[in-house]
Amino acid sequence: MDTVFKGEHLLPGHIGQFFIVLSFGAALLSFISYYFATTDDALKPNSSWHKLGRIGFYLNSLSILGMGTCLFYVIYNHYFEYHYAWAYTSRSLPVYYIVSGFWNGQEGGFLLWTFWQAVLGNVLIWRAKSWERPVMTVVAFSQVVLGTMVLGVEIFGIRIGSSPFLLLRNALDYPIFSNANYLSFIKDGQGMNPTLQNYWMVIHPPTLFLGFASMVVPFAYAVAGLWQKRYKEWVAQAIPYALFACMILGTGVIMGSFWAYESLNFGGFWAWDPVENASIFPWITMVAAVHVLIVYKNTGHSYFTATFLVLITFVMVWYTSFLSRSGILGDTSVHSFTDNGMFWQLVLGVLIFLVLSVVLLVKRWKELPITKKDEETYSREFWMFVGSVFLGLSCFHLLVVTSVPVWNAMFGTKIAPPSDIIKHYNVIQSSFAFVVTLLTGFTQFLKYKKTDVTRFFLTTGIYLLFAALITALIVYVTGIYKMNVVFILVMWGSAYSVIANGKVLADAFKGKFKLAGSAVAHIGFGFLMIGALIAAGTSKVISINNTGEGFSPEFAKEQNPRENILVYLNEPVKMGDYLVSYIGDSISSPNHYFKVDYKKIGADGKVENEFVLKPKALISRGQMSASPDTKHYLFHDMYTHITMFYPAPLADGEEANNAGAHDEGNDDKNYDAPVSHEVAPGDTIRYRDGYILVKGLNKEAKVENITVTASDVVIGANLEIVSHGKKYESVPIYMIRNGNVFDFARKVDDAGLKLRFSKVLPEKKKVEIMVYQQPESKKKFIVMKAIQFPYINFFWAGTIIMVIGFFLSILRRKKELKAV
Amino acid sequence: MKKSSIFGLVVIAIAIAVIISVYSNTSTYGSFNDAEKTSSELHIIGHLNKSKELVYDATKDANYFAFYMKDNKGEERKVVFTGTKPEDFERSEQLVLTGNMVGSEFHASKILMKCPSKYTQDKLEVTEVKAKQASL
Repeated sequence: MDTVFKGEHLLPGHIGQFFIVLSFGAALLSFISYYFATTDDALKPNSSWHKLGRIGFYLNSLSILGMGTCLFYVIYNHYFEYHYAWAYTSRSLPVYYIVSGFWNGQEGGFLLWTFWQAVLGNVLIWRAKSWERPVMTVVAFSQVVLGTMVLGVEIFGIRIGSSPFLLLRNALDYPIFSNANYLSFIKDGQGMNPTLQNYWMVIHPPTLFLGFASMVVPFAYAVAGLWQKRYKEWVAQAIPYALFACMILGTGVIMGSFWAYESLNFGGFWAWDPVENASIFPWITMVAAVHVLIVYKNTGHSYFTATFLVLITFVMVWYTSFLSRSGILGDTSVHSFTDNGMFWQLVLGVLIFLVLSVVLLVKRWKELPITKKDEETYSREFWMFVGSVFLGLSCFHLLVVTSVPVWNAMFGTKIAPPSDIIKHYNVIQSSFAFVVTLLTGFTQFLKYKKTDVTRFFLTTGIYLLFAALITALIVYVTGIYKMNVVFILVMWGSAYSVIANGKVLADAFKGKFKLAGSAVAHIGFGFLMIGALIAAGTSKVISINNTGEGFSPEFAKEQNPRENILVYLNEPVKMGDYLVSYIGDSISSPNHYFKVDYKKIGADGKVENEFVLKPKALISRGQMSASPDTKHYLFHDMYTHITMFYPAPLADGEEANNAGAHDEGNDDKNYDAPVSHEVAPGDTIRYRDGYILVKGLNKEAKVENITVTASDVVIGANLEIVSHGKKYESVPIYMIRNGNVFDFARKVDDAGLKLRFSKVLPEKKKVEIMVYQQPESKKKFIVMKAIQFPYINFFWAGTIIMVIGFFLSILRRKKELKAV
Repeated sequence: MKKSSIFGLVVIAIAIAVIISVYSNTSTYGSFNDAEKTSSELHIIGHLNKSKELVYDATKDANYFAFYMKDNKGEERKVVFTGTKPEDFERSEQLVLTGNMVGSEFHASKILMKCPSKYTQDKLEVTEVKAKQASL
């Protein structure tokens, strides 16, 4: 590299890269020091290893901040010599999206993850007391592994990690980079994928990554417990952190789901895409783990299950990362990353933590405090354990199906996922959900250790019956009974869970307030399930359209659902209970909004309800991406999404030329052959989409840009056009100057008309009006899809309630820790 | 027998049931030739033949989209999809179709497409760069 490149800003990159290496080194130092502080200096309260470990970790945290600052500086100043800035941002990107450009790429994701892990590490240094040394050994180790992911250094010809400070000329191989002046040709970055230009992209990734990152804390405690043989003590310490991780990851995942529902075009809130599934593996296993951790804390049962679930959760976090970043899901997922050359490094990441977990468990197996005695059948701990195992099974199923490409890569098979994958997931996951929700209900009536059996059956029975009645009602009203019986069972289980936990909550208000957390979380989960079930199960595409021609006889025979409807500008179409019309556009670059008017017409023909939705299409770099708009009601949502529109979007700058097309001869081609009408004032002209009323002739009409002299004759025809219930005015002009006849046509674009006042026929006392109509194919239209989602608010509300429940539980478990 | 052992057996049974049900539910990746031999749904990986026409005319039928795809073995078939033309379809580098053959047409119930420009974004648009060079 002898070329001296002009205009590059290499300093922030060098500093950033220095911080990357420093953070890696500091993490390594911290790990090693904490390791020796735990082993060699175990008995010394003032260990210099311990001090060194802390210093290392502080240094690691600071350099992560430095890294972030440098990256932000690069992006903010549009230094497109850096691949990251060039690939994900552009000059026109607003500042708040520059923030999200920060975590648009894989490197940014790792940066976010390691940042949160550093924050949590600092919290642990501050709070963990006697646990600091072993726990921080694990956290620092995890920082080391994460550090390798962004290192971007070549060792023995193998590139380790991928640095966000990679230069564009090193990332891509184009001849232009041999030009010392190449930067002057790169005026702008690639810009952000339009679907990501959304405020959810600003808050969803940080929340999600905080969720993933916080899984390290329970893991670190579990490893520390096994390593230091403090088998029992770690459990109580880990519970609040485990709850925190569940709360945050749950929030992050549902935020993603809300984002998908509000502004992506999946047509729903959950698509069972492999990347989505992968993000809930750790959540499910951690929720299961929390339950058995509590069982162990209260009764001493389920030790192995609890430890196993905590350990496997962290392995799942890495597996999730592997699935979404390695490119292995290429054939099955719409939004996984492609391979960044880190496939094996990611595999290694999963294996390191898997092997560590297995080795520790095997080594300590004989010493683990596993009870020999069985749990009582009528005890809370037994059924909590069963519930956790079922959660584990549900995760197992998700894992088996989602990992199909992994099995193919491992065993050389060529299996494809089930062809109706949504149904497959829905049915099987609902079976698990039924068991789990039922357990979250009746376990509330059991006590730890031993329960009065008759009383238990009596209360459980009464509540089950009550829930069944409510379920019957819901199922009848919403129409779920038309679906698979499993869904009715889930509805029953969820209703039961809400009612049973509602009773616990009522008791909690009477004094046993510490029980409120779990009750609230369970109620939230119950509502979430109810909402998901009704909204997904009975969502109805109301834009059904069977008017199409079907281009082949075989196609026409099929009874495929035809879910897209075509709506011409200003021509209302009946759709379900609604009269829908496309009433116009509003453009604020790069967004193109389509105004869609909905009128609900009652039996008496009156408009009962009217609203306008503005679904949009975002046009950026020649790509179009549509974003739905939704009308929210308390009990249902109307979701509308543009799937196509005409005329096709114009590239920037092209629009102006087209609008100003002056070539009259060419312009006529945009219309059908004209029809001439000889009319007198008061006559009406009928045409395809309505009629034109000739109101009168106007001798004082004016023509723009032409000065009318006394010798000129200028006549305007005052026309009123009525098309699909709308009125428009137009005044085409007829003019005689120096014996020559001119006429000035007028266009009514909204009605797709051009009108000419072409002749005056004094002998008949009539005039000739020529009507040009746009052919059907030239008229503006949109193709849209509309879906009704009933009761989806239960889903969102349930989530919020569940998060509150988690929060209350954290408070309670923290209090318990202090009391001990 | 201890209760936990019974429960353990139940869990193992369910796990096996899950695996079997998944396995029996899975379909296979195949070619158009395979699809002609079977009536069940298949996944076919291939790419769009960009030299042949894409048929989508919303004014005639908003839910009819037809195109020609070459599978990985080089076989080409007309593909019909009930729905609108997906955004940026022409840019796709790879398609994964789910569906079955009906007569000589492949009727897709699902199309998954990979647009490299959208996901890796690593295409320096040289034409664009050149145009700007001229204006300097």
